Amino acid sequence: MSKIDTSINTGIVEKTPYAVKKGKLWRNIVRNKFLYLLILPGLIHLIVFKYLPMYGVVIAFKDYNMFKGVFESPWVGLKNFKDLFHTAKFPLVMKNTLEISLLKMLFGFPAPIILALLLNELKNLRFKKTTQTIVYLPHFISWVIYAGIIRTFLNPVDGFINEIIKILGGAPYDFLGSRSTFRSVLVITDIYKGIGWGTIIYLAALAGVDSQLYDAATIDGADLFQKMRYITIPCIKPVIMTLFILGLGGILNAGFEQIFLLYNDMVLPIADIIDTYVYRKGIKEAAYSLGAAAGMFKSVIAAVLIILTNKVANKIGEEGIW
Amino acid sequence: MAMRESRKEKIFHWINAMAMVLLIIVMVYPFWYVIMYSLSKPYLAINGGFFLLPKGFTLEAYKTVLRNRSIITGFITSAVATVGGASLGTILAAMTAYSLSKKNMPGRKLLTYVFFFTMFFGGGLVPEYLLYKQFRLLDTYWVLFLPGCLSVWNILVIKNFYKSIPDSLEESAKIDGASEISVFFRIIIPLSKPVMATIALFLAVHYWNDFLTSVLFIFDKDKWSLQAVLREIITNTQEAMTRQGITIRNEYASNVSQKTITMATIMVSTIPILVVYPFVQKYFVKGTMIGSVKG
Repeated sequence: MSKIDTSINTGIVEKTPYAVKKGKLWRNIVRNKFLYLLILPGLIHLIVFKYLPMYGVVIAFKDYNMFKGVFESPWVGLKNFKDLFHTAKFPLVMKNTLEISLLKMLFGFPAPIILALLLNELKNLRFKKTTQTIVYLPHFISWVIYAGIIRTFLNPVDGFINEIIKILGGAPYDFLGSRSTFRSVLVITDIYKGIGWGTIIYLAALAGVDSQLYDAATIDGADLFQKMRYITIPCIKPVIMTLFILGLGGILNAGFEQIFLLYNDMVLPIADIIDTYVYRKGIKEAAYSLGAAAGMFKSVIAAVLIILTNKVANKIGEEGIW
Repeated sequence: MAMRESRKEKIFHWINAMAMVLLIIVMVYPFWYVIMYSLSKPYLAINGGFFLLPKGFTLEAYKTVLRNRSIITGFITSAVATVGGASLGTILAAMTAYSLSKKNMPGRKLLTYVFFFTMFFGGGLVPEYLLYKQFRLLDTYWVLFLPGCLSVWNILVIKNFYKSIPDSLEESAKIDGASEISVFFRIIIPLSKPVMATIALFLAVHYWNDFLTSVLFIFDKDKWSLQAVLREIITNTQEAMTRQGITIRNEYASNVSQKTITMATIMVSTIPILVVYPFVQKYFVKGTMIGSVKG
């Protein structure tokens, strides 16, 4: 399509190259008016719902006053950020966010790789498909529903898990109300909900491994475990690296929905993350400027991290998200 | 030696299969438990336990739930937000993606950056909240699906799909005198039905499962989505039920309890997903694969 258009175009304008350059652009724009019309609604949506809030972040540098609005509120420079770091609360919240995220990464990152390797060894295809279908399911069920199930199962009085503990001779325990177990619950339920979905990309990578490699190894007398170690894992290593690096880019997302639904006053000091803090400060307590400052602090670092990790992913020769 | 290894392998395969069966049980049992509990008589279920089958049998919890006004309105609200958000989001993404996929459109690069940039950086919760406040979107149904429906990620997925449509198809249509408009509506859209269905499904699941938008931006609990209503029942049982006019006088005599009602509510909000899941699952897997192909 582009070829035809330009040839017609140059045919007309060849004679006066200078005056035409502008005319050509204009004609190009006019000819593509339908494309602009098509992108317009999306663009307006983007400007209103993405760029205006980005502009609104200036209240992080202001003393926001509801009656004065974003524009009229007085500038206060970095005061909000200073306040943020002078309270003990925000550094603690930062620390919690990073710790919970890293714990989730430490245990949650290898989980789908292992599951994918195991699924890949299933010989009965129908069994494999069924297992996949079932382990994907939790990804589609909301955190609210899982929070309900988790609360029911971990209930210290009659929860299923505590019933088992009682049968085994232990004493029931309040897992969600105890600082020593709350984070474990977060990590385990996060893996539970995401493990199946996480296998998809690995399974695709595994399907792409050249089967001749396995055949050759079989002839050489390699057993299943040697094949796994010397063929399968090296072959999917690039995918593993890429996903790991990209995962690091999202390290400030410790799981807002999950924690929001499960945390309580008893575990607040170890469970409060940036997102929950922003919600409570910025919206519940209406400390808009402080909340915006906390939120902005997070999004700036997150943006830098995403860009950096993508650079790294591209550098090691793998594909980033772009 | 070879014999020994093959036996080792056999044992591995056996253990592996067992592990997978165990995994399936671990994934499925919670829902089984919830269903069985919701069907049980409260005074029999009150001691907890394993629930392979309902203890006693009553549908009273479901009757209570389905008679409950805020669950019904929540269900309708969620359904409307799901359909509205999914269709609007898909159409907007398809339109935007088409323009951005056209190399000869002046300004395409700039526009792509403008869209792309929002993938890394956002204003955050508080500025969004103030914006919705300014635009009087707080406490309206609009806020449930309008602000979040356009995802740049979805645009990229559709754009990648458009790239796979051979140019010759469009060229020949144009030679036959088709305008850009009819090329888009009569060639591109019909061809991209599968990818649009995938995007619509992703969005639909997102909206159906969304509770945060309601909790953050809607104060009038009568306008909450089903998941937000469910959250309140789960986290704040007594108060939520009183507010909804459910009073249980005597747990031992009654055929419903807070717990059986909670269980029944969980099921009511899960069932739509469970019903469509087997059919849409493969689209999702495909969608994830499309999304992971570099744009």
